Amino acid sequence: MSDTVTINIDGKEYQVEAGANLVDAAKWHAGNDIPVFCYHPKMDPVGMCRMCLVELGTPARDRATGDVMLNDDGSPQIRYFPKLQTACTTTVSDGMHIKTNTQEVIDARNDVLEFLLSSHPLDCPICDKGGECPLQNLTMRHGPQSSRMYFEDKQLLEKHYPLGDLIFLDRERCIQCARCVRFQDEVVGDDVLAFHERGRRLQIITDSDPGFDTYFSGNTTDICPVGALTTTDFRFGARPWELNEVPSISPWDAAGENISLSMRLDRDFGGKALIKRVMPRQNERVNEIWISDKTRFGHHFTRSEDRLTQPQMRSDGVLRPSNWAAAIPAMAEALKGGAGDVAAIAGGSVANEDLWELRQLVEGLGGSRLGAWMPTHGGAEIVAEVGVGFGTNLGQLGRGDAILVIASDLEEEAPIWRLRLKQAQDRGAYLVVANARHTRLEDFAIQGARNDKVVEGDVIRYDAGDAVSTLQHLNANHRDIAGRLSAAENLVIVAGAEGLTLSGSKALAQAAANFLIESGHIGRRNNGLLIPLPGANGMGLHYLGYTADATLDIMANPPKALIVAQAELLDDDPAARAWLSQVETIIYANFFDDGISELADFVLPLQTFAERDGSFVNGERRVQRFYTGQGPIGQSLPAWKLFGGLRAALDAGSLQPSAAAVMLGLSENVSAFEGISYKALAQVKREFPDVGGRDLYYGGAAYTNTGGLGVQIPTASDRRKGRRPRRLPAFDQPAAGEDEFLIMPITRLYNRQRNFRPTLILEPRILTPYAIINAEDAAAMGINGGDIIEINAGESSVRARAALSDDISAGAAALPRHLTAEAIPLTITTGSIRKVAEAVAVGD
Amino acid sequence: MAIIGNPKYEARIDRHLAKYETKRSAVMPLLYIAQEEYGWVNPEGIREVAEILNLDPTQVKSIAGFYTMYSEKPKGKYWLQVCTDLPCALQGADEFHAWLKDELDVEEGGTTTDDMFTVEHVMCLAACDKAPMLQCNFHYVENLDQDKMRGLLAKWRQEAAQAANGRG
Amino acid sequence: MHILLRGRDIENIKQLDVYEAHGGFVGMKHALAMTPAEVIDVVKASGLRGRGGAGFPTGVKWSFIPQHEPVKFVTVNADESETGTFKDREIMEENPYQLIEGSLICAYAIQAKAVYIYLRGEFWDIGDQLDECIEALRAKGYIGENIMGSGYDCEVYTHLGAGAYICGEESALLNSLEGYLGQPRVRPPFPAQKGGGLYKEATVVNNVETLANVPYILSEGAGAFKAIGTEQSAGNKIYCVSGHVKRPGNYELPMGATFRELLYQHAGGPLHDDRPLKAMLPSGGSGPIVPLSDEVLDTPMSYEDCANIGTIIGSASIIIMDETVDMTWVASKVTKFFKHESCGKCTPCREGTYWLDKVIDRILDGRGSPDDVKRIADVAENMAGTTLCALGDFAANPIIHTIRHFPDDFAQHVTAQAADG
Ligand SMILES: Cc1cc2nc3c(=O)[nH]c(=O)nc-3n(C[C@H](O)[C@H](O)[C@H](O)COP(=O)(O)O)c2cc1C
Ligand code: SF4
Ligand code: FES
Repeated sequence: MSDTVTINIDGKEYQVEAGANLVDAAKWHAGNDIPVFCYHPKMDPVGMCRMCLVELGTPARDRATGDVMLNDDGSPQIRYFPKLQTACTTTVSDGMHIKTNTQEVIDARNDVLEFLLSSHPLDCPICDKGGECPLQNLTMRHGPQSSRMYFEDKQLLEKHYPLGDLIFLDRERCIQCARCVRFQDEVVGDDVLAFHERGRRLQIITDSDPGFDTYFSGNTTDICPVGALTTTDFRFGARPWELNEVPSISPWDAAGENISLSMRLDRDFGGKALIKRVMPRQNERVNEIWISDKTRFGHHFTRSEDRLTQPQMRSDGVLRPSNWAAAIPAMAEALKGGAGDVAAIAGGSVANEDLWELRQLVEGLGGSRLGAWMPTHGGAEIVAEVGVGFGTNLGQLGRGDAILVIASDLEEEAPIWRLRLKQAQDRGAYLVVANARHTRLEDFAIQGARNDKVVEGDVIRYDAGDAVSTLQHLNANHRDIAGRLSAAENLVIVAGAEGLTLSGSKALAQAAANFLIESGHIGRRNNGLLIPLPGANGMGLHYLGYTADATLDIMANPPKALIVAQAELLDDDPAARAWLSQVETIIYANFFDDGISELADFVLPLQTFAERDGSFVNGERRVQRFYTGQGPIGQSLPAWKLFGGLRAALDAGSLQPSAAAVMLGLSENVSAFEGISYKALAQVKREFPDVGGRDLYYGGAAYTNTGGLGVQIPTASDRRKGRRPRRLPAFDQPAAGEDEFLIMPITRLYNRQRNFRPTLILEPRILTPYAIINAEDAAAMGINGGDIIEINAGESSVRARAALSDDISAGAAALPRHLTAEAIPLTITTGSIRKVAEAVAVGD
Repeated sequence: MAIIGNPKYEARIDRHLAKYETKRSAVMPLLYIAQEEYGWVNPEGIREVAEILNLDPTQVKSIAGFYTMYSEKPKGKYWLQVCTDLPCALQGADEFHAWLKDELDVEEGGTTTDDMFTVEHVMCLAACDKAPMLQCNFHYVENLDQDKMRGLLAKWRQEAAQAANGRG
Repeated sequence: MHILLRGRDIENIKQLDVYEAHGGFVGMKHALAMTPAEVIDVVKASGLRGRGGAGFPTGVKWSFIPQHEPVKFVTVNADESETGTFKDREIMEENPYQLIEGSLICAYAIQAKAVYIYLRGEFWDIGDQLDECIEALRAKGYIGENIMGSGYDCEVYTHLGAGAYICGEESALLNSLEGYLGQPRVRPPFPAQKGGGLYKEATVVNNVETLANVPYILSEGAGAFKAIGTEQSAGNKIYCVSGHVKRPGNYELPMGATFRELLYQHAGGPLHDDRPLKAMLPSGGSGPIVPLSDEVLDTPMSYEDCANIGTIIGSASIIIMDETVDMTWVASKVTKFFKHESCGKCTPCREGTYWLDKVIDRILDGRGSPDDVKRIADVAENMAGTTLCALGDFAANPIIHTIRHFPDDFAQHVTAQAADG
C-alpha cells in the first residue's frame, strides 16, 4: 500500500498522506481552508457544528466485480453523496473528489453561520477575542449579509460565569462546539467540563470541586473559537490588535515550552512594552500548541514591585544603593582580592549566555568551581550520553512503544511532558509509573481507573528510597513489565529524583541508562532518557560545566569570593547561612533579594527572561532562543552583560555587544554548541497541523512560530559513543535511625518559590504546607489527618499538616519543597516527626 | 440518609454494576436511585453517584441535566406529567392540562403550596390511544377526565396524610 | 391473524408456560440447530424490514456484523418515543417472551455476548416485568450459559432511559447506554462495525417489533412470512392509530392493506361523523403530513407505496386530524416537540428548531407576516440534509409539508396583518 493517495479538490488533483483528515489535507496541500468550528486537528472530529460541509464523491465500483466503473473517456465515474458531507469527519481515500465552491456548499456555510449568529451576541467591540476570532473571520468570509432571524428575540444568558478561579465563561457567546470539553477530556484527561441540559439550552458546566482547576485550563481559552472563555488574568486586558507578539521560552521547567509574549506599550509602565498575556507558540516537537497554567500566568514576577532595581554595595558594613559605574570597578577589585579562590553558583534558569560569561569570569580569575543550584537532582551528564535520541518527538510515541516514569511526579515537575506522555498512552503506548507513593500520572497507568478508557499501563510501588534497586532489578522482580518495556519498539524512561539523594538520583539515571542500553533503546529517535531537572536550563548548566558536585564542594569548603547568579540560596536552604558567612566576598545577582543582603557585599539587579535575549537548553537537549519583550526595570542588566562587564574591568576580556555575539563565542568553545548560532536557532518551517495565529479558523492564539524551532544537541550515543552499560556509581541510600523517618522532598507546581509568589491569581491554589505520612505510622503516633506536625532534621525544623496515606511505605514522609514558611533543609534525608497541634477547621 | 452504605440500595446498585461492561454505564440507574432517596437529584446524590462510579461529578451532573426524568429541583410528593403532545392534544389534553393547573392553582412546572403536587406537561408517552393521560411518579394513569382526576387527587392526598400519620 | 399482538388471542401468553404451549421457543430451537450464518439467511429470505422507522432489511443488517470479532452485542430499541407510537409497549406488556426470544435468535445469529433492551424511562413497569421474564428464562436454561444445551452463552439485560426522544436514534442510544450524553455519534463507523457499536464492539440495533417477528420466521419458515404483505414489504405491521377516529389503538394488519381499510374498517372512521378527516401524519411527528384524499386513503400501507404519495410509513404511528384542526397549530405542536427533543449537538437542529418555534408562535399569536411563513419554510429547508442525525430532517418536515399542503391555514393567521418585516 502506498503512503499517499490522490484526491481531487475543486477539479485539481493532489497527492496527500493516506489516512489524513480531509480538512487537514485540503488546508495543507491545496491551501483550501474548509471552514470549521468544532473540528480541531489535535482532537477527534465530532461533526457537530456542520460548518465544514462539502460535496463529496468517491469512485463508483461495480457491485459484482468491485472494479472502478469508468466514464466513456476512461476517467473513473464519481458517485457523489446525495447530501453534503462533513469534511472534518472524512478520511481521505484514493480517488476521492470534493467540491468546496459550489452554490450548495456556499449556501450551507451561509446557513450554518446564520444559525450560529442567530443566538450569538454581537458584542465584538467589547470582546477579548475581537480581532482574532474565528467566528468573526468566518462570518466575513462566508456569512450572510443580514440575518432573517429576529435579534430582539435573542437569549439573555450569564456573561460572567466563573468556571473556576482562572476561567470565565460567557454563556451568550458559547457556540457549543465542545472544543473545551474535548480538550479537557481527550488531551488533559481531566474531564471536568461537560454539557448540561440539551437543545438550545445546552451549556458548558463544571461541577467539580474545586471548579475548573487543572494545570492546563488556560489552553481552552486559546482553542475556543469565540470569546466565550477568557482568563481572569487577561479578561478585558487589551485588544488583540494592539498587541505585539514576542517569541519566548517558558522559564519554569525542563520542558521548555515555546511561548509568545503578547506585548503592549503601556502608560502605567512608563510607556514601555508590558506583558499582557502569555500564549503558546507552536513547536510540535516540544509543546505542540499547549502550555501549562504556570507558564501562562506565572509572568507576574517580571513586574513585581519587589524587584531589585539598583546595584547595591556594602560600605562601612552597610549595604547602600549605588550604580553600575561605581559597582563594577569595586567588584573587580574585590574579586582580585579572592586570589584565585573564586567560585560561582548558578540557578536552574540562568541562560546559556550568562553561564558562559560567568564561567569565563571565574576561570579568568583562576577559579574552577562552578556550582549548579539546587544540588538535588543529578544525571544531566547521563542525559548527555543516552538522552532521548536526536529528532525525538514525544508526539510520535504510540502503539508498540513504552514509557517508564520512575521517582518523579511528572505533572508537578514538567506538566507538558505529562500531557504528552498521557497522549502517547492514548495512542497505544504502554505506560509504567513507578514511585514510592501515588502520583497523578499513575491514575492513567491503572487500567480503567478513569472513564473506563482502555489503556495500556502498569504501576509499580516500591518502598521509599528503593527507586534504584527497583529499576536495577526490574527484570528479576517485575518480569512481565520489564519484558514489555524491553520489547517495545521505542522506549523512553523518565527518571526523577523523588526520595533520592543527589548521588542516588545519579545512580537511578545510570540504572535507567543501563536498562535502555541493554534493551537497545538508545541512539535512536524516540528512545532514551529524560530527567525533569529543576529550572529551564538544567541541561545548559551541564553543558557549560556547572555541576551539583561543585556546589556541594563549595558548601563544604567555602571560597574566598563567590558569585551567585539567580539562585535563592537562603530561600531554598536554611543551612546555607552557615557556610555563606565564611565567604569573604559575596556577589549576588538576581531579581529579588532572598535575605542574602545581610551577608552579601554586592546585590545586583538582573533582567528576567522577558526583558532580554538569551537561550535555554531543555530536557530534550533542544537549545531554544527567547527574545526581548518587556521593557527593563530600573537599572537591571542581563547577567551576561554584568559578567562581561566585570571581565572587561578586570582586563580579562571584552564586553560583547549582544547576546548573539556571546553565543558565537560559546559555540566556538563549547563542543555541544558547535554550529549553533542565533540564526540557526531562529530557523522555522511550516508545521503540521497548521494552526497559526493569522489563520481563519484556528485563530485567537499567537501560535505561529516565528522565533525558531531550536536546535537539538545530539547525545553521545547518537554519535555512536557511550553504548555500553556502566556500573552504578556508589550512592548513599539514606537510612532512618531509630524513631526517625525517611524524608522525601517532593515538588509541587504551585509553590511559594520567590519568583512564583507574585502570581497572585494562582495563590489561592497553593496548598497549605503538608506532609504525607503512612497512615499506620500516624495512628501509632496519635496523629490524625490535618494535625500540625513538626519535622525536625538536624538544625532546622518545619511545620506542616499531616496528610495520611496508605500508599507511602511505613517510616517515610513526603514533604513538598517550597510550601512551608520555613525553608526545608536541602539535603534533608531523615528526621523525626512529632505532633504539635490538633487539626483545626479549615478557615481558622 | 445516603445511597452509599444504605442497605436499601446495596443489592440494586450491585446488580446494576454487574450488568454493564463499564462502571460508567450504570450512571443512569444510579441517578434514579439518587432521585428515589432524596426526592430529586441533589448535589449530594450527584457526588455519591460520582464516587461509586469513579467519575468526575461534572460528568454525572451532565447526564442528570440531559434527561427530563431526572429532576434537578425538588418536586412535590406527586409529580404529575400530563402528555399534551399532538395525539393527546387532539383528544383535549391541552384543556385538561390547563384545568388541572387551575384546579391545583399552580403555574406550569410549579408545585402546590403544600408540596403535594407538581404539574408539568410532557411530550408523547406512548399512550396516545388513552388520552388524556398523565404520568404520576412514573406510573401511567390513562383515559382521564375531570371527575376521575378529582377522585385521584383526593385519593393521593389521603394516602399522603395516612403515610404522615403512620410515621408520626 | 396476529403474529405480534398475540396477547389479544391467547390469554396469559405473558406467562412462560402458556407462551411455550403456543409455540414459544420453537423458533429458537430451530435456530440453534442451524449455523449462525444459516439463521441470517433465513431472516434475509423472509424479507423482514426494520420496524423502527427506516425499514432497513433486517437480515442484511445482521450480515454486516464481522463474524471474526470476538465480542458483539444486540441492542433492542424499546425507546418508543415517536409521537403517536405505542406498539412496542403492547408487545412488551402482553407478549414479552416473544420479544426476548427474537432477541436471543438475533444474538445467536451474530454470536453476541449479551442483549441490552433499552427502554424509554417511562416504561418502568415494563422493565420490571421484563426482568422477571429474564429470570424465569434463566431458571429454565434459556438465558445464561449453554443455552438449551447448545453451548452458546448469552445474557439479557434491561436498561431504562430517562426521557429523551433522541435516544431512539441508534447511535445516541448506544451513547446513553454507555453512560454518555444521549447524543448521536458521527458515522462511520456504524454500529455494526467494530468501533461503532456498544462499547466500540460491533452491535445490531433493532426495534422491538422487528425482533418480535423473528420467532415466527424461524418456526414457520421464511416463506410463510414472505407470503404475507407485498413484494417489498413482507409480513404484518402494527399500525398505531390516534387522533380523530372512533377507535384509536393498535391494529396488526398485513403490509399493503390500505389506509382506508385501517381507518374506516378497523378504527371506526371519523370520531365525529359530521366532521370529515382532513389530514394524516402517517409516521408520527417525523414523516411528511398528507391530506386525506381518496388517493391517499386507497394507498396500500407499504414502504414502496407510501413513497409514491410523498410520505413514509416509518414507525406507522398514524395521527388523524379532522377538518376542525388548524394545520398551523399542528406545525407548532410538532415543532415544539422537536425543539424540546433536539439534543443540541449540531448547529442547524439546535438553532433551527428554536427559531422555527419562535416564529410559528408569532404567527399563531397573530403577530406574523406573510414573510414569516416564507421564512420558516426557508429555515426548514436549510436544516434539512445538513444535520448530524435525522432528527433535524424530521423537524423540517412538519413545517415544509404543512405549508406546502395547507397554505390557507397559515394565510388565515397572517392576512389580517400588515407585513411588518
Ligand atoms: C431521531 C430518531 C429517533 C428514533 N427513535 C426510534 C425509536 O424510538 N424506536 C426505534 O425503534 N427506532 C427509532 N429510530 C430509528 C433507529 O435509529 C434505528 O434505525 C432503529 O432502531 C433500527 O431498528 P430496525 O432496523 O429494527 O428498524 C429513531 C431514529 C431517529 C433518527
Ligand atoms: S439533528 Fe438534532 S438531535 Fe440530531 S445531532 Fe443534531 S442537534 Fe442532535
Ligand atoms: S462539523 Fe466539521 S468542523 Fe464542525
